[in-house]
Amino acid sequence: MSAQAVPVHSRDHAAAHGHSDYNRWAATMRLGLWLFFVSDAFVFGALLVTRFYLLGLHRPHLEQWLGLIVTSVLLVSSFFMNRAEVQISAGNRKGFLTNTLITMALGITFLVGVVGVEWQQAPFGPGDAAQGAVFYMMTGMHALHVLTGVIFLLIVYLKGRKGLYTAERHWGVEAAAIYWHFVDLVWVFFYPALYLIGTVIE
Amino acid sequence: MKEKTEEMLSPAPHTVIDKSAELKQGIMVFVGLAVLTLIEYFLGVAQVSAATIVLLWLIALLKGGLVLFFFMHVLRVFRADGGH
Repeated sequence: MSAQAVPVHSRDHAAAHGHSDYNRWAATMRLGLWLFFVSDAFVFGALLVTRFYLLGLHRPHLEQWLGLIVTSVLLVSSFFMNRAEVQISAGNRKGFLTNTLITMALGITFLVGVVGVEWQQAPFGPGDAAQGAVFYMMTGMHALHVLTGVIFLLIVYLKGRKGLYTAERHWGVEAAAIYWHFVDLVWVFFYPALYLIGTVIE
Repeated sequence: MKEKTEEMLSPAPHTVIDKSAELKQGIMVFVGLAVLTLIEYFLGVAQVSAATIVLLWLIALLKGGLVLFFFMHVLRVFRADGGH
């Protein structure tokens, strides 16, 4: 049966049914993603507990201005990620692509700031007592997640350029956005734990 | 095919209004997070008293809550249809 032979109301019903199926599928995928976040949160939670167990109310000697800059960069990236998701759900593909690109650029800037600058400037190495182990493990694990997020966004960007996402169907974009915000959420707790809480270790 | 894609991408008027509100909400949340980050930075640098630690944790929890609810849309997980 050709598409033209199907009555209009039947096609509308089929489209609505398909959309409903898609929403149910997306809800299942969303639940799976959140279960992954819960398991991943245990890893980051363990790192946070380790930091306070080993260092107590002392913190590593780090550049405060650099900590604020990288934190701000990640915060701004979350803002643009949110915009990218809203734009695709409004059907604005160009806006989605632009905001995704900006998010990726800011993610790379964060990585350069932490791994390229902070790691080089820190007056201790990974093997220098507890503060070295804590600092490099926490920032390294987080940076690995940021790198994964950038790769995730690159895949979503390339698929978006091909027009594979629509206002109604863009689970891939939503998943990438939630993942990116999760990485931001982790840094919300890592930033004060590493840079702000306690007195500096001399 | 091209026409079909563009048709799917063109938003309905009510959608434009909804999304405009979502964009504004994103800006408000971002401003809130930025202000809280600045407050915790100055609290951390000053280290006035032991109570500072409690304040820093409270600010971090507040920021985390904002990210969870407005950026990560945690409540969508509990919706049966999973729609936006």
